Amino acid sequence: MKRLLRNPSLLIGGTIVVIIVLLAIAAPWVTTYQLEDMDMRNRFSLPSAEHWLGTDNFGRDLWTRLLYGARISIGVAVVSVGLAAIIGTLVGLAAGYFGGLFDLIVMRIVDVFLGFPPLIMALTVVAALGPGVTNLMIALTAVFWTEYARVVRAITLSQREIDYVAAAQAVGASWARILVVHILPNCLGPITVLATLGIGTAIVAESGLSFLGIGVEPPTPTWGWTLSYGMRFLRADPWMSTIAGLCIMLTVLGFNLFGDGLRDLLDPRRITSGRRGRRGAIAE
Amino acid sequence: MLRILYCGAAIAALSVGFAAAPTLAQDGDGAITIGADVDAGTLDPRVMRDTTAYRVANLLYDGLVELSPTLEATPGLAESWENPEPTVWVFTLRDGATFHDGTPVTAADVVYTFESILDPELASRWRTLFTPISEIVAADDNTVRITLSEPYAPLLSYLDIGIVPANLVEGGTDIGTQPVGSGPFMLANWERGSTIALEPNPNWWAGEPSVAGIDFIVVPDNTARAQAFEAGDLDLIQSPLSPADIQRLADETDIVADIMGGLGVTYLNFNTQDPLLSDPQMRRALAMLVDQETIVEAIYEGVDVVASSVLLPSWPAYSPDIQQPTFDPDGAVAILEQLGWSDSDGDGTLDRDGEPLTLTLSTHSEDPNRIQAVEYIQNVMRGAGIDAQVSISDWPSFSGAVQNSQHQVALLGWLNLVDPDRLLYGQLHSGGALNWGGYANPTLDGALDRGRTTLDPDGRAAAYQEAAEIIADEVPYYIISYQGYQVFHTPEIEGYEPNPRGMMRSLMDN
Amino acid sequence: MIGYAARRLLLMIPMLFGIIVLVFLMLNVIGGDQALVLLGQEGTPEQLEALRRELLLDQPLTVQFAAYIGKLAQGDLGYSLFQSQSVLEAVSGRLGATLELAIVALLIAILIGVPLGILAAVRHGRASDIFAMLFAQLGISMPVFWMGILLMFLFAVTLDWLPAIGRGEPLLVAIVDLFRGNPAVLLDSLAHLALPAITLGVGAAAIISRLVRSAMLDTLSLDFVRTAYAKGLGPARVTLAHVLRNALLPVVSMIGLRFGALLGGAVLTEGIFGWPGLGQLSVAAINQRDIPLIQGVVLTFALMFALVNLIVDLAYAAIDPRIRYD
Repeated sequence: MKRLLRNPSLLIGGTIVVIIVLLAIAAPWVTTYQLEDMDMRNRFSLPSAEHWLGTDNFGRDLWTRLLYGARISIGVAVVSVGLAAIIGTLVGLAAGYFGGLFDLIVMRIVDVFLGFPPLIMALTVVAALGPGVTNLMIALTAVFWTEYARVVRAITLSQREIDYVAAAQAVGASWARILVVHILPNCLGPITVLATLGIGTAIVAESGLSFLGIGVEPPTPTWGWTLSYGMRFLRADPWMSTIAGLCIMLTVLGFNLFGDGLRDLLDPRRITSGRRGRRGAIAE
Repeated sequence: MLRILYCGAAIAALSVGFAAAPTLAQDGDGAITIGADVDAGTLDPRVMRDTTAYRVANLLYDGLVELSPTLEATPGLAESWENPEPTVWVFTLRDGATFHDGTPVTAADVVYTFESILDPELASRWRTLFTPISEIVAADDNTVRITLSEPYAPLLSYLDIGIVPANLVEGGTDIGTQPVGSGPFMLANWERGSTIALEPNPNWWAGEPSVAGIDFIVVPDNTARAQAFEAGDLDLIQSPLSPADIQRLADETDIVADIMGGLGVTYLNFNTQDPLLSDPQMRRALAMLVDQETIVEAIYEGVDVVASSVLLPSWPAYSPDIQQPTFDPDGAVAILEQLGWSDSDGDGTLDRDGEPLTLTLSTHSEDPNRIQAVEYIQNVMRGAGIDAQVSISDWPSFSGAVQNSQHQVALLGWLNLVDPDRLLYGQLHSGGALNWGGYANPTLDGALDRGRTTLDPDGRAAAYQEAAEIIADEVPYYIISYQGYQVFHTPEIEGYEPNPRGMMRSLMDN
Repeated sequence: MIGYAARRLLLMIPMLFGIIVLVFLMLNVIGGDQALVLLGQEGTPEQLEALRRELLLDQPLTVQFAAYIGKLAQGDLGYSLFQSQSVLEAVSGRLGATLELAIVALLIAILIGVPLGILAAVRHGRASDIFAMLFAQLGISMPVFWMGILLMFLFAVTLDWLPAIGRGEPLLVAIVDLFRGNPAVLLDSLAHLALPAITLGVGAAAIISRLVRSAMLDTLSLDFVRTAYAKGLGPARVTLAHVLRNALLPVVSMIGLRFGALLGGAVLTEGIFGWPGLGQLSVAAINQRDIPLIQGVVLTFALMFALVNLIVDLAYAAIDPRIRYD
């Protein structure tokens, strides 16, 4: 607990994340509006008692839209980062442990994925599969998984050399047991940190794809769409895009602070800080 | 020391801005700068595909005719023409017209241009417009004779397409990248993805344009393009623009704004082969759930116009008396009830024989206004008890699906509608190549045939009015709006006459 | 060292081949029909058929792929379907603009990020540290296209200090002009570069500043730093001579990875500021299913990324004597 208090990043970030996630889950109970209630006589209204955060271009309640949008934007980010972490970890464990030709091939595949600038990769995947929530998640997973594969492989390589693994091998433990019992636990800290930070990146990435017109399409209320469509009204009615942009920034800030704090907590020696991979990469 | 380092960085960062400040003036060569949403893919008028290419090619090339802002054919490379028989057109080329490389424009160039467009191997988008041509020959150096398989009234409206130099193209010059036309401007420089710079043609047959030059500058993002115009980096911007910017710019006092009816429509394409949509009554009911007023006012911010029928106001055939179904949710529900749809299980969705009334509205992801329109129509339909779904995909997938008739109700548009035939014949004639909704009606076919083959303007108008009545009644197409055309420019540009097709020739005497 | 570089260069070949296969599969197996896109709404069936034949779209994928690889082996990247240009021309025409933008953005990122990181580390826990890190967080969390439009609004529309769009003369040309006594050209080029490069660079600056800060904090606690203090060296001297040198190592290695992100970020920035680079070209290519061009653009990006990382790794060895490649 004392450690927690000395770690303001974790505390502040965690608080932001918890509040936003709770609000997203509780969306139907913290707003009286329906997601799709339009009110064409009341478009672009400023925050008021009826509409806490104002209304959008269809006169829909922005507080409601953003609450439900949190489900999509954070949901997409969590699922794609989670998938990327799982795939990357499995691949990284296998490559690092078995080495040899398998490792060589896997790392060349990782190179292929790294060669794509992240946004181009996402664009190409969405172009191939079409827009939509599922395809967006596939696209982001395709961008993110290499990061985990590289980190986990590096840890596995270093752990494999350590005596207790050799000892476990000597007593005849199966490779699966060695991987799960001895090596995987050492990876969990860095993976958790990377994943937390990756969620922020994924949220920003979603908005970038929306801006290019290939994100999740309406009527699904994503933050990226609200921001990029709202920007069309930037000059006359700047409120819609501003609130959506701030919403994205606050959430990303929350996850990043939380991730930083987590790193300090789990890994005070910061072994991942050197080549931490492409954190923030797609956000550009 | 640290402090100094830190300040140094800050100054370095800021001085990039300050140092630049004195050089803000416009490019000094006096050329007019025009914002464009895309770079031209090719400047070969036979295969051009994008609005930028249309607008630039119109300045680089001359067609046989030139279309006035009211869509009348006026002399271009052809100084006169006659129509000795309904299926024969004879064009006399003017003397003294030369291509930019100095060679004279001859009848052989005209023949070559149209023969190559008609060749399926060239993959020209304009081919359909000219398929009624059965033969085109050069009677002599200055005379072109076009023979048609049947009378074809719209022909003249399409003959403004640029004439290309036959020898050069045959000789292997790629006029897509090194355009050589006979028009008032020549290509000075084309920096791909950025700038198409045109300079006046000193040898143009009607005299050298006095403007120093015209530069098209590519800024893909609509909002950014409008801001660049306000910042003074562009002298003229035009459709497509964000409706929100149009409203605001139109209110500015130091900007000249022209907002007029364009030559495009936004419409709903009903797949009449779909079991649910084969009944005209069903299509009428759905059309009555399209709130045109709100779509036009709220989404298009009043820059488009509520459509009353398939006839555009700028066409001679237009008649305000022909009225397709208008917004009437109660009437729609009444019709649906007659058809047997009612909410028998009380779940809020209409059903019949235990099946809920489910419908998919689709459009493409490139145009946010269309997405919003679909989203709004969906909202109203749901309010009327229809389980409306929205499907939005990118243009290649969406257009592929629609062209293979895999849609139910699709929202899309047609542009460049210089003649009613262009909107109706291919699209709604039972044998039409673009009849993706599979609509077939012998009476309509008759009217469209008459419209195509009747040369007398009044007879044509009557034929298209009959067609429009049928379409308003049976609703294979529901026209949501007539697209507007907007152009904004600085007051320094004088004598510019806006043209609903976005053509820029009237800039030449600035 | 040379052997190492050569091996890295050889390893690029399988990577590039993998990218070719991946793009080809993604876009051909599931993508849209280019013939439809090319002909637009008004294409007729016989034209579609002719075009599909010409583009080999009626052939099995293996035939298409073999045809593509066969040409590629002869150094022919193919012809863009939409640009009426060869892919090589299209890509090489845009490469300079994107490289210029990315390099200047990176310079800005370093110029802002490194001092900010040093400041934060030296003032660890104090107000300036918190402000610096807050800036860094904002730089990371703000969507770049939003920042771009807002910067344009502020500096081009409202203040009218900078041009909103377009590119001046290429920087190299402008610098040559400077030595010919014509500084206006360079100023114009820089003015055009300013907004897109800052937009692109801020995110990287934020990441670099965080990295410098944490690396410096790590180093500050190491023994040799205490030794240096013990030797009586002043704090500025210690910071610069000892700490910074070590702290810059992760930054150098980060730059390689950031560069790929900067190239990708150009996709959004270039579209906003009308910058005629590869980013705009790639968006257009992907939207139009211009597969040869997509291949060309992605291969170019990948090649640049690989080369920059090779250079960075070699530079790494040069800075850090502990690292030796064999």
